[in-house]
Amino acid sequence: MTRKNALPVLLQALVIAGILAGCQKLALDDLEFAERTGEYAFPVFSTRIGMQDLMLKVLNDSVGGDTIVINPDKTMTLFYSGDVAEKPASDIFRFFNFPEVPVPINDTFYSYPFNTLDSVYIRRVEVATGTLNLVVNNARNQPITGTFQILQMSKNGQPFSMSFTVPARQTFISPPIPLKGYTLTSDSNRLEFRYEAYLPDGTRIKIDEVLPGIAGIGILIQGFTASYMEGYWGYSEYPLTLDTIDIDINQTNLKGNVKVKNPKVTMTITNSWGFPTRGVVKYLSFIGRDGKEYKLKSNVFFGDSIDFNYPSWAAGEIGQTKETHVVLDSTNSNIAEIFNAQPIRLIYEVAGISNARKDPSIVGFLTDKSTIALRMKVELLLEGSAENFGAEQTINANFGQFADFDTSRIEAVEFKIVTENNTPIGAALQLYFLDDQGRVLDSLFSGATPPFVVKSPPVNANGVSIGTARAETFAPMDVARFSRVRQATSMRLNAAFTTAQGGQAPVKLLATQDIALRMGLKVKTRLGGKP
Amino acid sequence: MKKRPFLSFFRYALLLNVALMARNAAAQQELMLYLSPETWHANAANPAFFPKEKTVFLGGPAIGIDAAHSGNIAYNDLLRRENGRTILDLGGAINQLQPDNTLRIDQRNERALLGFRLGGWYLTAGWSQRTAATANYPRALAELLWYGNGPYVGQTLDIGPALSTVRWNELSAGLARDFGEHLRIGARAKYLSGSAMLVTDEARRKIQVFTEPDIYQLSLQTDYAFYSSSLISAVDTSGFGYDLSFNELRNRFGQNSGIGFDVGVQLRLSKRFTLSASALDLGSRISWKQNTAYFRSQGTYQYDGVFIPGTDILNGTVDSLDFGAALDSLNDVLNFQRADAELTTSLPTRYYAAAQWQLLERWVLGAVLHHQRDDRRQTTAVGFSGHWSPLPWLTVGAMYSINNRSATNLGLSAAVRLGPLQAFALSDNALNAITPYRSAAVNFRVGGALIF
Repeated sequence: MTRKNALPVLLQALVIAGILAGCQKLALDDLEFAERTGEYAFPVFSTRIGMQDLMLKVLNDSVGGDTIVINPDKTMTLFYSGDVAEKPASDIFRFFNFPEVPVPINDTFYSYPFNTLDSVYIRRVEVATGTLNLVVNNARNQPITGTFQILQMSKNGQPFSMSFTVPARQTFISPPIPLKGYTLTSDSNRLEFRYEAYLPDGTRIKIDEVLPGIAGIGILIQGFTASYMEGYWGYSEYPLTLDTIDIDINQTNLKGNVKVKNPKVTMTITNSWGFPTRGVVKYLSFIGRDGKEYKLKSNVFFGDSIDFNYPSWAAGEIGQTKETHVVLDSTNSNIAEIFNAQPIRLIYEVAGISNARKDPSIVGFLTDKSTIALRMKVELLLEGSAENFGAEQTINANFGQFADFDTSRIEAVEFKIVTENNTPIGAALQLYFLDDQGRVLDSLFSGATPPFVVKSPPVNANGVSIGTARAETFAPMDVARFSRVRQATSMRLNAAFTTAQGGQAPVKLLATQDIALRMGLKVKTRLGGKP
Repeated sequence: MKKRPFLSFFRYALLLNVALMARNAAAQQELMLYLSPETWHANAANPAFFPKEKTVFLGGPAIGIDAAHSGNIAYNDLLRRENGRTILDLGGAINQLQPDNTLRIDQRNERALLGFRLGGWYLTAGWSQRTAATANYPRALAELLWYGNGPYVGQTLDIGPALSTVRWNELSAGLARDFGEHLRIGARAKYLSGSAMLVTDEARRKIQVFTEPDIYQLSLQTDYAFYSSSLISAVDTSGFGYDLSFNELRNRFGQNSGIGFDVGVQLRLSKRFTLSASALDLGSRISWKQNTAYFRSQGTYQYDGVFIPGTDILNGTVDSLDFGAALDSLNDVLNFQRADAELTTSLPTRYYAAAQWQLLERWVLGAVLHHQRDDRRQTTAVGFSGHWSPLPWLTVGAMYSINNRSATNLGLSAAVRLGPLQAFALSDNALNAITPYRSAAVNFRVGGALIF
């Protein structure tokens, strides 16, 4: 009986125990995911580099004032300009440097030579500014009266003349007399002063010397400038400019081979000097990437010289400005060959020679605004070819959350680089990951030769690219390398550009062209389980 | 708790799916129970049922579970115990999943039952806790969770699950009466107090993930919403991950309430032949008004990685490529906006009809038809049983049944009586009940009562 009654109790106990066990198994408070391999794919970054931006960058890294011009056909021309070497005539031709002390007039008629270059004979000067003071010392015991004249200086047809009276044993200093409006004429670069002095009884006298050898009469001319000078400019050489133009379109120390189609150097001379001037190219050379000098030779020069256009006095061109353009290109110079050497700098020195032909019949002139300006400009139409033409850029990077991932669970990663390029330039890329000290931690591609990540589309007969070339490149990376890479604080991008058809065909770069570069990442990692 | 990986949403979504249903793990097709009217708990299936020749009943705890997954996915295909831990492993199950999958779990826990016979009147009262949960989820959700998005580059994955989980307390009072010797009619009124609810908005089920083949740009589109009361009180997507506030708000009894009705009839055509029928949860609804919110995520998000202006690269003026910070914004699209809301949920109505024929003194044959319908599912089952009482204190039964899932269900039951103590265990699918962790469908009920 006891055993009989125990059975249902036992059954019940089993059932209840089973239920409890079941509930225990169903408890999911400590739920964990089983370990397995998962793979996550996500984008990393994208960028788009416009050809126009790239060219502007090239310009910004060179001397300021350079420009990029978008041509009507969307081609681009780079202009690298040197400083404008502007020379006012007064910098070269210094006339009428009157002393700061009175000019002694040693006799009643005195010829005073004014300061000019040896080869220049001034025959007419129009005074712009200046004043004149007459100084007379009377050492006698009676007053003196008289007049002072400058015979070559006249106004409205009347020679300059002024009267003076000096009391006995006194010194007379006239008030400053404005000279503006006077005209000086001379054929001998001399001014002639003449005075007449009389005692009260009418006796003409010569002003006594103050001290032996020091005249008792003189004039002080201050602030003298001329608004116009006319005369004969003889042969005279003078410096015009010495300058350097940086044209480093390579931007890198990487080796490369770039050819630019139809490079030009243009020399523009703006001249308002009214006499013939010959420019003499003392030095005109490019400095190549290899440090060598490449002399620019051209048949447009006559023995390294060229005559500048000038406004002619005889033709009534006073006040006009004449320009002279000298274009050095592949048709008249060796510039194309020079650009094959990837020049980084142009150095030039130009001097001027007045009346180089020594023509005595030429009458010339200068005004107070006469200048001669020379500008050198390197003009590069972006049509050319390049092979392994290098560029380099460093950008900061912060892998953020990725830097904290537990890489012990990562099995592998794979970068995917996608480019879409409608420029006629392809490129091999390598990305170096740098630590905060700039040391290379690793590189994106492990091979010795970086892959050709950017492919160039085909070009038409004009060198313009057709369509867009898309390229996908995969860069697998093991865990050890990825662990290093994600600690990077910056990345250095090295690119070696090659134009279409292996860099053999000239291509045109259009402002509307660009390169899209994108990167994605796949991470294969262990998931779940106990880390 | 923050989940670090940037695709933690997907982890969250499936975990939520599993957790909700697993936490409620439990039960509601009960053919065998219906055909065991000698057990007191059969009263739950038909308020007209009352064991013969007994006067007072005190029902003890009883647990009933009816759970099933579409296809042949079993518990052991998903979960296993390993060194004291529960491991979720979808690896083996994913290949068995259909493009769309359904998991349903119904549970009924009887807490207390009381019954009196007063002549031809029968009075009953009870308290039970019930859960009804259904989840429809796409295979893509499991795949994305398990394998990441890497293997699915170029594919649009629809991963929005449809969930309906309602948990409530049920207080009932029933009355039955004999009409003559052959007919008994019973009815029961139920006061329903909702304790937790999570129901997705059928009109907003869109969560699409697309990984571009190009450089794996991520595209995420959401128009997804759900109602929740108590279960989830906040979804914080700020920072790097998802913060879910589970069960921080507790619904007190009566805060979210409703009523429902059960009716039943038992007709003894002869000493050996009985017909019966019941309708359960008629008009049962719960109005969720307290601690109830509507969470909605709507947006389109495209993550293309960090964009670096070309001029910055050329000029070397890139401040820093902060990849991680950019990914944080992925959460923005899943930023669930919370709004207070009210919702009325209907409980599934179930119908039973049965016939029993006492073949011999100790043998009873029976047939039962069950039908259940609600907004999300409609199921029908029919079973044929035989019950044998070899001993005065033991009744065992067997049943063959057909339902929407399977045409080969073998049910078993056992009821023992030890003095006033009555205990039973029964299942509509006994093989699965014995090995529930290896079965795609589980159905059983166990319980006990004191009968005087």
